[in-house]
Amino acid sequence: MSTPTDLKFLIVDDFSTMRRIVRGLLKEMGCHNADEAEDGAVALNMLKANKYDFVVSDINMPNMNGFDLLKAVKADESLKHLPVLMVTAEARKEDIVLAAQSGAAGYIVKPFTKATLEEKVQKILQKLAATA
Amino acid sequence: MKMEDISTLQPAEPLQVSPEVFQQLGSITRLLHDTMQQLGVMPKLQIATDGLPDARSRLTYIASKTAEAANKVLNSVDQAKAEHANIAAATRKMAELIVANPVKAVASGAVLNFVQEVEQSTARIDGHLTDIMMAQDFHDLTGQVVAKVVTLANDLEDSLVKLLVQVVPPGQREKVDPSVLHGPVVNAEGRTDVVTDQGEVDDLLASLGF
Repeated sequence: MSTPTDLKFLIVDDFSTMRRIVRGLLKEMGCHNADEAEDGAVALNMLKANKYDFVVSDINMPNMNGFDLLKAVKADESLKHLPVLMVTAEARKEDIVLAAQSGAAGYIVKPFTKATLEEKVQKILQKLAATA
Repeated sequence: MKMEDISTLQPAEPLQVSPEVFQQLGSITRLLHDTMQQLGVMPKLQIATDGLPDARSRLTYIASKTAEAANKVLNSVDQAKAEHANIAAATRKMAELIVANPVKAVASGAVLNFVQEVEQSTARIDGHLTDIMMAQDFHDLTGQVVAKVVTLANDLEDSLVKLLVQVVPPGQREKVDPSVLHGPVVNAEGRTDVVTDQGEVDDLLASLGF
């Protein structure tokens, strides 16, 4: 099974502060390989141009929101294997259900703790390893 | 249309309008005006719309203050963690020196240098902690601005909802839902359409088989 240390993450959030916090938490988990994108459109271009192993994405963003990014990733043959973990302030059940049905690998509501992020990332990696 | 054509549109004789028509038009206008006043829509709507440009600048202010504070805190944390790592490394090195040869460690001045290094580092860390504490002033500053913007938004919402309820067909009134704003759920009490913590998210996803 892969560990976060081996993986390349893409952090997608329109707030640079939140990108920095997620990057900091991933760093504390041993992952030093992470890029950032400020919205879904930028993220999609980066995903197509580079190789990533894991996407952590916000939902409410300008240009292309997290749901549209998720759908675009899952509709793309070369990207659909990528796990997308939604990290968002959206706490409505219909959003959580929509994310799950659209292929999200996990869903975290803000504010969250380092332990929650770590647990979700590990869980997703375990699931991927089991289905590989 | 040319100016000269206008004469062709005018009736040959002045239009005869009954004074009652003007009276009726006047009554309708007065009724509409009074109704809007009674509903409290016009004055509040006017105040709210006058305040919108101000609200925009207030919100921009909040965004810049909070971003500034967040960056200041994260920079200070980065620097404090680096200092902390240096102390940890120096402590490990000192322990090795003392274990190997305690007399030499003291005589060479290594112990004294270490003590001075720790003192300087802790002073710098204290400075970073003070910076972090001071960065929290955004809470006080933005809190006041937020309160004003919330009042303005409430006034605007009240006015618009009243106006909307008046103009929608009676059968559609119950469909007017003012809670369509997206973002964090500030008050989830009594709501069944939102989750309140990560545990509920996990339960919901588990119930869906995820």
